[in-house]
Amino acid sequence: MFRFMHTKLPEFIKKMYVAVHDVDDTKTMEVHGLESLHSAKMQSLRTGRIEEAVHEIAGRDDVKHVEVLVLPRVPETMHTVLIKGKDENGKTTKIIMEVINIIHPTEETEFDGCTDIEDRRPKLGLH
Amino acid sequence: MKYRVLPGGDIDDKIIPVSVVFLDVKEIEKSGLSQDDAIRKVAATIQGPAAINVFDMDAVTTTSDGIVVEGAIVRMGASDNGKVNNEFGILPMQEIILSDELVEKEPHLKQWKKLFPEKKMFRGPNPKDKKIPVHNVVITGRASNNNSATEMMNIITMDEVLFPILGQLECMHHGDVLVGMTGQVISVGIGMTVAEMYGRVFPHPQFEAGDTAHGSGAYAKTLKQYIPCIVCDKKVIARLTIRALQCGCVPARDIGCSPVVLSIARAMGTPIDFDRITPAAQAELDSIGCTREWMKQTSHMTAEEVIAHADEILPGVEQAKKYHADDLLVEKEI
Repeated sequence: MFRFMHTKLPEFIKKMYVAVHDVDDTKTMEVHGLESLHSAKMQSLRTGRIEEAVHEIAGRDDVKHVEVLVLPRVPETMHTVLIKGKDENGKTTKIIMEVINIIHPTEETEFDGCTDIEDRRPKLGLH
Repeated sequence: MKYRVLPGGDIDDKIIPVSVVFLDVKEIEKSGLSQDDAIRKVAATIQGPAAINVFDMDAVTTTSDGIVVEGAIVRMGASDNGKVNNEFGILPMQEIILSDELVEKEPHLKQWKKLFPEKKMFRGPNPKDKKIPVHNVVITGRASNNNSATEMMNIITMDEVLFPILGQLECMHHGDVLVGMTGQVISVGIGMTVAEMYGRVFPHPQFEAGDTAHGSGAYAKTLKQYIPCIVCDKKVIARLTIRALQCGCVPARDIGCSPVVLSIARAMGTPIDFDRITPAAQAELDSIGCTREWMKQTSHMTAEEVIAHADEILPGVEQAKKYHADDLLVEKEI
């Protein structure tokens, strides 16, 4: 059962396209903000809710194009940095681990002047 | 409610990436608003990104190297195009309670106990109030007001200005400020901290006097080198640092071993706790010429002489131009 709890990254992206094209396959769509991820498991519960939201937006008469933008929920993210040294054969011979905290703009920078904004996010710390 | 604004833009080709608002708690109290509502009301009047700082000029605070000074930021905000982010846009600073135990743990606070025991102290926020995990920062849209309101950024253009507390307090005092580039000396100096609970940069005590928060060797001098900064007149930092020395604070033991602190101790021939300067801190100091030999070349200038010659004695801001703060700030009322 637990294998269904999270969604594969490529599957998540595909689901977003399907959610638009289920409504109207002439409408276009794009997903941004996940470009640097290669392997990730996406929370399934929210994947379903996002699919529903994408479906809803795509179904509007005033929408021809859907953009799904994934931003850090908390605008400071903490990352581990691996500094690897490799020999002539490509074998890793030394690694130093460091950390870097990255500050991001909050969502207001992406509102594009739109005033019809419905915030369906749970409070921080809730699912 | 009156307040003053340093408009975003540029000063003498130095980019000021956000507007900076100076709001006095006394004005807020007169208005009957809460501090949060006052920040939101002011924010609503500003186009573009802004940092909004609320000052209690009857309170005291500390500089990063542990100098106790009158005037404190008690709450900080960040706004963009009139909005303040509901979750990340406002943060209060934690009031510090004076006790002998605290002075023992944070010996730079002997200045507070001796000079202003009746005054409240604020430095940084309490981690329990923070929703952002690491930095003491508020963010709305493009605007980031970081390190407890002393380092402002536009996160989209990625421009930044350092606005240390003494520079901001000079604006509140209608004094003079130097606008220039941070350069190598200040880049190193801001890492020479004291360990504080609810500090401006670190929420928990981390890097004691004599150590460096940067730990970057010869790279420390480059960290903020090309970022604009707005700092106080050198006479002001000289006067306040001398007062700390006169309270019995010893560089590298009670207060940080920043180049400014060391330069003043060296000029006056007052003690420096050489044994407590860590190898990591010394490596950074060496990289800007503050070697052990340099520190030991002392003279015996008086406090008055050091203050009078502060511009020659104290290293710091580069390409600086002096401005009267009132010529840079615009007074507004809502």
